[in-house]
Amino acid sequence: MEERQLVRLAQEGSPAAFEELVSKYQSKVFSMALSFTRNREVADDLAQEVFLKAYLALPRFHGKSEFGTWLYRISINHIKDYLRKKGRAKEVSLDDVQEIAFSNKEQTERAEQERETEARRTLVQKFVQGLPEKYRVIVTLRDIQGLAYEQISQVLHLSPGTVDSRLHRARRMLRKKLAPYLLGEGGANEL
Amino acid sequence: MNCKTAEKRILRSFDGRLDERSAGLLGKHLEACPSCRKAETEYRSMLALLRDGKGAAPLPLFWERLQPRLREEREAAPFLFWERWNLRAIPAFLAIVFVAGAALVFTPRAGELTASEALLLENTNPITAAEQLFGEEKSDERNMMLLFASLDDKTPARRPTP
Repeated sequence: MEERQLVRLAQEGSPAAFEELVSKYQSKVFSMALSFTRNREVADDLAQEVFLKAYLALPRFHGKSEFGTWLYRISINHIKDYLRKKGRAKEVSLDDVQEIAFSNKEQTERAEQERETEARRTLVQKFVQGLPEKYRVIVTLRDIQGLAYEQISQVLHLSPGTVDSRLHRARRMLRKKLAPYLLGEGGANEL
Repeated sequence: MNCKTAEKRILRSFDGRLDERSAGLLGKHLEACPSCRKAETEYRSMLALLRDGKGAAPLPLFWERLQPRLREEREAAPFLFWERWNLRAIPAFLAIVFVAGAALVFTPRAGELTASEALLLENTNPITAAEQLFGEEKSDERNMMLLFASLDDKTPARRPTP
Protein backbone atom coordinates (compact mmCIF):
# COMPACT_ATOMS: atom_id res chain seq x y z
CA MET A 1 0.00 0.00 0.00
CA GLU A 2 1.25 3.50 -0.78
CA GLU A 3 2.48 5.62 2.08
CA ARG A 4 -0.04 8.37 1.36
CA GLN A 5 -2.87 5.89 1.64
CA LEU A 6 -1.43 4.45 4.85
CA VAL A 7 -1.25 7.92 6.34
CA ARG A 8 -4.86 8.64 5.37
CA LEU A 9 -6.05 5.39 6.97
CA ALA A 10 -4.00 6.05 10.09
CA GLN A 11 -5.56 9.52 10.29
CA GLU A 12 -8.96 7.88 10.26
CA GLY A 13 -7.91 5.79 13.27
CA SER A 14 -6.70 2.53 11.69
CA PRO A 15 -4.17 0.91 14.07
CA ALA A 16 -2.99 -1.48 11.32
CA ALA A 17 -2.04 1.42 9.05
CA PHE A 18 -0.20 3.16 11.86
CA GLU A 19 1.60 -0.08 12.71
CA GLU A 20 2.86 -0.29 9.15
CA LEU A 21 4.14 3.27 9.30
CA VAL A 22 5.86 2.52 12.61
CA SER A 23 7.57 -0.58 11.23
CA LYS A 24 8.75 1.42 8.21
CA TYR A 25 10.27 4.24 10.24
CA GLN A 26 11.17 2.72 13.64
CA SER A 27 14.79 1.97 12.72
CA LYS A 28 15.33 5.42 11.25
CA VAL A 29 13.88 7.22 14.26
CA PHE A 30 15.73 4.91 16.65
CA SER A 31 19.11 5.29 14.95
CA MET A 32 18.67 9.05 14.90
CA ALA A 33 17.95 9.05 18.63
CA LEU A 34 20.86 6.68 19.18
CA SER A 35 23.29 8.91 17.34
CA PHE A 36 22.35 11.74 19.69
CA THR A 37 22.21 9.83 22.95
CA ARG A 38 24.53 6.84 22.38
CA ASN A 39 22.38 4.85 24.77
CA ARG A 40 20.12 2.15 23.34
CA GLU A 41 17.55 2.23 26.15
CA VAL A 42 17.22 6.01 26.06
CA ALA A 43 17.11 6.00 22.25
CA ASP A 44 14.39 3.35 22.34
CA ASP A 45 12.35 5.40 24.83
CA LEU A 46 12.76 8.50 22.70
CA ALA A 47 11.69 6.64 19.57
CA GLN A 48 8.55 5.43 21.35
CA GLU A 49 7.76 8.94 22.49
CA VAL A 50 8.28 10.27 18.97
CA PHE A 51 5.72 7.81 17.61
CA LEU A 52 3.29 8.71 20.40
CA LYS A 53 3.65 12.38 19.54
CA ALA A 54 3.20 11.63 15.86
CA TYR A 55 0.09 9.57 16.62
CA LEU A 56 -1.46 12.43 18.58
CA ALA A 57 -0.53 15.00 15.94
CA LEU A 58 -1.63 12.81 13.03
CA PRO A 59 -5.08 14.43 12.61
CA ARG A 60 -3.30 17.76 12.10
CA PHE A 61 -0.94 16.43 9.41
CA HIS A 62 -2.17 17.90 6.13
CA GLY A 63 0.31 16.22 3.81
CA LYS A 64 2.06 19.44 2.79
CA SER A 65 5.36 17.59 3.17
CA GLU A 66 6.20 13.90 3.01
CA PHE A 67 5.23 11.88 6.07
CA GLY A 68 8.90 10.95 6.60
CA THR A 69 9.96 14.59 6.61
CA TRP A 70 7.22 15.45 9.08
CA LEU A 71 8.25 12.54 11.31
CA TYR A 72 11.92 13.55 11.17
CA ARG A 73 10.93 17.07 12.25
CA ILE A 74 9.04 15.67 15.25
CA SER A 75 12.02 13.43 16.06
CA ILE A 76 14.57 16.21 15.87
CA ASN A 77 12.47 18.53 18.04
CA HIS A 78 11.77 15.81 20.59
CA ILE A 79 15.40 14.74 20.82
CA LYS A 80 16.52 18.36 21.13
CA ASP A 81 13.99 18.89 23.94
CA TYR A 82 15.26 15.79 25.70
CA LEU A 83 18.88 16.89 25.44
CA ARG A 84 18.00 20.38 26.61
CA LYS A 85 16.20 19.00 29.65
CA LYS A 86 18.99 16.56 30.38
CA GLY A 87 21.66 19.22 30.02
CA ARG A 88 23.93 19.94 27.12
CA ALA A 89 25.97 17.03 25.81
CA LYS A 90 29.51 17.26 27.08
CA GLU A 91 32.39 17.81 24.71
CA VAL A 92 34.18 14.49 24.30
CA SER A 93 37.77 14.58 25.44
CA LEU A 94 40.46 12.67 23.61
CA ASP A 95 41.32 10.81 26.82
CA ASP A 96 37.83 9.25 26.89
CA VAL A 97 38.17 8.14 23.33
CA GLN A 98 41.60 6.59 23.66
CA GLU A 99 40.38 4.46 26.53
CA ILE A 100 37.78 2.88 24.28
CA ALA A 101 40.21 2.51 21.43
CA PHE A 102 42.73 0.48 23.41
CA SER A 103 44.15 -2.34 21.29
CA ASN A 104 44.22 -6.00 22.36
CA LYS A 105 47.23 -7.73 20.77
CA GLU A 106 46.13 -11.26 21.71
CA GLN A 107 43.16 -11.33 19.38
CA THR A 108 43.38 -12.74 15.90
CA GLU A 109 44.03 -10.37 13.01
CA ARG A 110 40.47 -10.54 11.75
CA ALA A 111 38.96 -9.93 15.17
CA GLU A 112 41.43 -7.14 15.60
CA GLN A 113 40.30 -5.48 12.41
CA GLU A 114 36.65 -5.79 13.41
CA ARG A 115 37.40 -4.40 16.80
CA GLU A 116 39.29 -1.50 15.33
CA THR A 117 36.46 -0.71 12.93
CA GLU A 118 34.02 -0.82 15.83
CA ALA A 119 36.34 1.36 17.89
CA ARG A 120 36.56 3.85 15.01
CA ARG A 121 32.79 3.83 14.66
CA THR A 122 32.39 4.52 18.36
CA LEU A 123 34.98 7.22 18.10
CA VAL A 124 33.19 8.89 15.20
CA GLN A 125 29.88 8.74 17.05
CA LYS A 126 31.45 10.24 20.14
CA PHE A 127 32.92 13.07 18.15
CA VAL A 128 29.61 13.67 16.39
CA GLN A 129 28.05 13.99 19.81
CA GLY A 130 30.69 16.48 20.77
CA LEU A 131 29.82 18.81 17.88
CA PRO A 132 27.71 21.92 18.53
CA GLU A 133 24.02 21.07 18.15
CA LYS A 134 23.40 22.72 14.78
CA TYR A 135 26.28 20.79 13.21
CA ARG A 136 25.44 17.56 14.98
CA VAL A 137 21.90 17.63 13.66
CA ILE A 138 22.99 18.20 10.09
CA VAL A 139 25.69 15.49 10.13
CA THR A 140 23.21 13.06 11.65
CA LEU A 141 20.56 13.76 9.05
CA ARG A 142 22.90 13.70 6.06
CA ASP A 143 25.75 11.34 6.87
CA ILE A 144 24.08 8.90 9.24
CA GLN A 145 20.47 8.94 8.10
CA GLY A 146 21.27 9.65 4.45
CA LEU A 147 18.57 12.27 3.91
CA ALA A 148 18.70 14.33 0.71
CA TYR A 149 19.64 18.02 0.94
CA GLU A 150 16.10 19.10 0.03
CA GLN A 151 14.61 16.91 2.75
CA ILE A 152 17.04 18.31 5.33
CA SER A 153 16.06 21.84 4.29
CA GLN A 154 12.42 20.96 4.90
CA VAL A 155 13.03 19.21 8.21
CA LEU A 156 15.17 22.01 9.63
CA HIS A 157 13.49 24.91 7.83
CA LEU A 158 16.83 26.00 6.40
CA SER A 159 17.78 27.09 2.89
CA PRO A 160 19.73 24.52 0.83
CA GLY A 161 22.68 26.94 0.87
CA THR A 162 22.73 26.97 4.68
CA VAL A 163 22.48 23.19 4.76
CA ASP A 164 25.43 22.98 2.37
CA SER A 165 27.65 25.37 4.30
CA ARG A 166 26.80 23.89 7.72
CA LEU A 167 27.42 20.39 6.50
CA HIS A 168 30.74 21.40 5.01
CA ARG A 169 31.80 23.05 8.27
CA ALA A 170 30.60 20.10 10.37
CA ARG A 171 32.52 17.58 8.27
CA ARG A 172 35.66 19.68 8.43
CA MET A 173 35.37 19.91 12.22
CA LEU A 174 34.88 16.17 12.46
CA ARG A 175 37.77 15.36 10.19
CA LYS A 176 40.05 17.70 12.12
CA LYS A 177 39.28 15.82 15.32
CA LEU A 178 39.33 12.38 13.75
CA ALA A 179 42.32 12.75 11.42
CA PRO A 180 44.79 10.91 13.69
CA TYR A 181 42.45 7.89 13.86
CA LEU A 182 41.27 7.65 10.27
CA LEU A 183 42.64 5.66 7.38
CA GLY A 184 45.11 7.96 5.70
CA GLU A 185 47.37 7.32 2.76
CA GLY A 186 49.55 4.31 3.49
CA GLY A 187 47.06 2.41 5.65
CA ALA A 188 45.29 2.73 8.98
CA ASN A 189 46.67 4.95 11.65
CA GLU A 190 47.19 3.43 15.07
CA LEU A 191 44.20 3.56 17.34
CA MET B 1 42.21 25.10 -8.29
CA ASN B 2 43.45 25.72 -4.75
CA CYS B 3 43.21 23.20 -1.89
CA LYS B 4 40.29 25.00 -0.21
CA THR B 5 38.13 24.70 -3.32
CA ALA B 6 39.33 21.14 -3.79
CA GLU B 7 38.17 20.23 -0.29
CA LYS B 8 34.69 21.64 -0.99
CA ARG B 9 34.53 19.69 -4.22
CA ILE B 10 35.72 16.50 -2.56
CA LEU B 11 32.80 16.72 -0.13
CA ARG B 12 30.35 17.55 -2.90
CA SER B 13 31.57 14.59 -4.91
CA PHE B 14 30.62 12.26 -2.03
CA ASP B 15 27.08 13.61 -2.21
CA GLY B 16 26.96 13.22 -5.98
CA ARG B 17 26.67 16.97 -6.42
CA LEU B 18 29.63 17.63 -8.68
CA ASP B 19 29.28 18.26 -12.39
CA GLU B 20 31.55 16.54 -14.90
CA ARG B 21 33.78 19.53 -15.54
CA SER B 22 34.40 20.19 -11.83
CA ALA B 23 35.00 16.49 -11.24
CA GLY B 24 37.65 16.52 -13.98
CA LEU B 25 39.37 19.55 -12.48
CA LEU B 26 39.27 17.96 -9.04
CA GLY B 27 40.79 14.75 -10.41
CA LYS B 28 43.68 16.70 -11.88
CA HIS B 29 44.21 18.56 -8.63
CA LEU B 30 44.19 15.33 -6.61
CA GLU B 31 46.81 13.79 -8.89
CA ALA B 32 49.12 16.66 -8.17
CA CYS B 33 48.33 17.30 -4.48
CA PRO B 34 49.17 14.63 -1.86
CA SER B 35 47.59 16.53 1.03
CA CYS B 36 44.23 16.72 -0.77
CA ARG B 37 44.53 13.03 -1.66
CA LYS B 38 45.04 12.32 2.02
CA ALA B 39 42.06 14.52 2.89
CA GLU B 40 39.90 12.65 0.37
CA THR B 41 40.86 9.27 1.86
CA GLU B 42 40.16 10.51 5.37
CA TYR B 43 36.80 11.95 4.43
CA ARG B 44 35.85 8.74 2.64
CA SER B 45 36.79 6.68 5.67
CA MET B 46 34.97 9.03 8.04
CA LEU B 47 31.75 9.04 6.01
CA ALA B 48 31.83 5.24 5.68
CA LEU B 49 32.02 4.95 9.47
CA LEU B 50 29.20 7.46 9.92
CA ARG B 51 26.95 5.63 7.45
CA ASP B 52 27.56 2.40 9.32
CA GLY B 53 25.54 3.74 12.22
CA LYS B 54 22.33 3.93 10.19
CA GLY B 55 21.16 0.34 10.41
CA ALA B 56 20.65 0.25 14.18
CA ALA B 57 17.45 -1.54 15.18
CA PRO B 58 15.40 -0.59 18.24
CA LEU B 59 14.96 -2.95 21.18
CA PRO B 60 12.79 -6.01 20.51
CA LEU B 61 8.98 -5.83 20.40
CA PHE B 62 8.93 -2.15 19.58
CA TRP B 63 5.35 -2.14 18.28
CA GLU B 64 4.10 -4.45 21.04
CA ARG B 65 5.44 -2.02 23.63
CA LEU B 66 4.11 0.99 21.77
CA GLN B 67 0.59 -0.38 21.27
CA PRO B 68 -0.64 -0.14 24.90
CA ARG B 69 0.68 3.42 25.13
CA LEU B 70 -1.25 4.34 21.99
CA ARG B 71 -4.36 2.71 23.42
CA GLU B 72 -3.99 4.75 26.60
CA GLU B 73 -3.71 7.95 24.58
CA ARG B 74 -6.74 6.98 22.52
CA GLU B 75 -8.75 6.39 25.67
CA ALA B 76 -7.61 9.69 27.15
CA ALA B 77 -8.67 11.52 24.00
CA PRO B 78 -11.64 9.60 22.55
CA PHE B 79 -12.41 12.32 19.99
CA LEU B 80 -8.85 12.42 18.66
CA PHE B 81 -9.75 11.23 15.19
CA TRP B 82 -12.96 13.24 15.05
CA GLU B 83 -10.92 16.30 14.40
CA ARG B 84 -10.43 15.19 10.82
CA TRP B 85 -14.14 14.50 10.39
CA ASN B 86 -14.98 17.80 12.06
CA LEU B 87 -13.12 19.63 9.34
CA ARG B 88 -15.10 17.79 6.71
CA ALA B 89 -18.38 18.33 8.58
CA ILE B 90 -18.00 22.11 8.91
CA PRO B 91 -19.25 22.96 5.37
CA ALA B 92 -22.18 20.54 5.72
CA PHE B 93 -23.08 22.00 9.10
CA LEU B 94 -22.91 25.55 7.73
CA ALA B 95 -25.17 24.57 4.82
CA ILE B 96 -27.76 23.12 7.23
CA VAL B 97 -27.63 26.26 9.38
CA PHE B 98 -28.07 28.41 6.27
CA VAL B 99 -31.09 26.45 5.03
CA ALA B 100 -32.67 26.42 8.48
CA GLY B 101 -32.06 30.17 8.86
CA ALA B 102 -33.58 30.89 5.47
CA ALA B 103 -36.63 28.80 6.34
CA LEU B 104 -37.12 30.75 9.56
CA VAL B 105 -36.73 34.14 7.86
CA PHE B 106 -39.11 33.42 5.00
CA THR B 107 -41.80 31.57 6.96
CA PRO B 108 -44.29 34.01 8.58
CA ARG B 109 -44.37 33.70 12.34
CA ALA B 110 -47.63 33.16 14.22
CA GLY B 111 -47.41 36.64 15.77
CA GLU B 112 -47.53 38.26 12.36
CA LEU B 113 -50.78 36.61 11.32
CA THR B 114 -53.96 38.59 11.02
CA ALA B 115 -56.87 37.61 13.24
CA SER B 116 -58.66 35.81 10.45
CA GLU B 117 -55.44 33.99 9.35
CA ALA B 118 -54.80 32.95 12.93
CA LEU B 119 -58.36 31.72 13.23
CA LEU B 120 -57.97 29.74 10.05
CA LEU B 121 -54.67 28.26 11.24
CA GLU B 122 -56.16 27.41 14.58
CA ASN B 123 -58.96 25.74 12.65
CA THR B 124 -61.51 27.84 14.46
CA ASN B 125 -64.67 28.84 12.79
CA PRO B 126 -64.38 32.63 12.00
CA ILE B 127 -68.13 32.97 11.92
CA THR B 128 -68.35 32.06 15.60
CA ALA B 129 -65.85 34.83 16.41
CA ALA B 130 -67.80 37.29 14.28
CA GLU B 131 -71.02 36.28 15.96
CA GLN B 132 -69.41 37.08 19.30
CA LEU B 133 -68.58 40.56 18.07
CA PHE B 134 -72.05 41.19 16.74
CA GLY B 135 -73.60 39.68 19.83
CA GLU B 136 -72.09 42.33 22.05
CA GLU B 137 -74.86 44.17 23.76
CA LYS B 138 -73.30 47.56 24.26
CA SER B 139 -73.12 49.30 20.95
CA ASP B 140 -69.97 51.33 21.91
CA GLU B 141 -68.05 48.22 22.79
CA ARG B 142 -69.25 46.41 19.71
CA ASN B 143 -68.11 49.29 17.50
CA MET B 144 -64.73 49.41 19.19
CA MET B 145 -64.25 45.65 18.76
CA LEU B 146 -65.22 45.85 15.11
CA LEU B 147 -62.82 48.76 14.67
CA PHE B 148 -59.89 46.80 16.21
CA ALA B 149 -60.77 43.67 14.27
CA SER B 150 -60.59 45.66 11.03
CA LEU B 151 -57.25 47.13 12.10
CA ASP B 152 -55.97 43.60 12.73
CA ASP B 153 -56.49 42.76 9.09
CA LYS B 154 -54.35 45.72 7.94
CA THR B 155 -51.45 45.71 10.40
CA PRO B 156 -49.30 42.67 11.02
CA ALA B 157 -48.72 43.62 14.68
CA ARG B 158 -51.42 42.23 16.86
CA ARG B 159 -52.97 44.47 19.47
CA PRO B 160 -54.72 43.30 22.55
CA THR B 161 -58.45 43.32 22.23
CA PRO B 162 -60.19 45.37 24.86
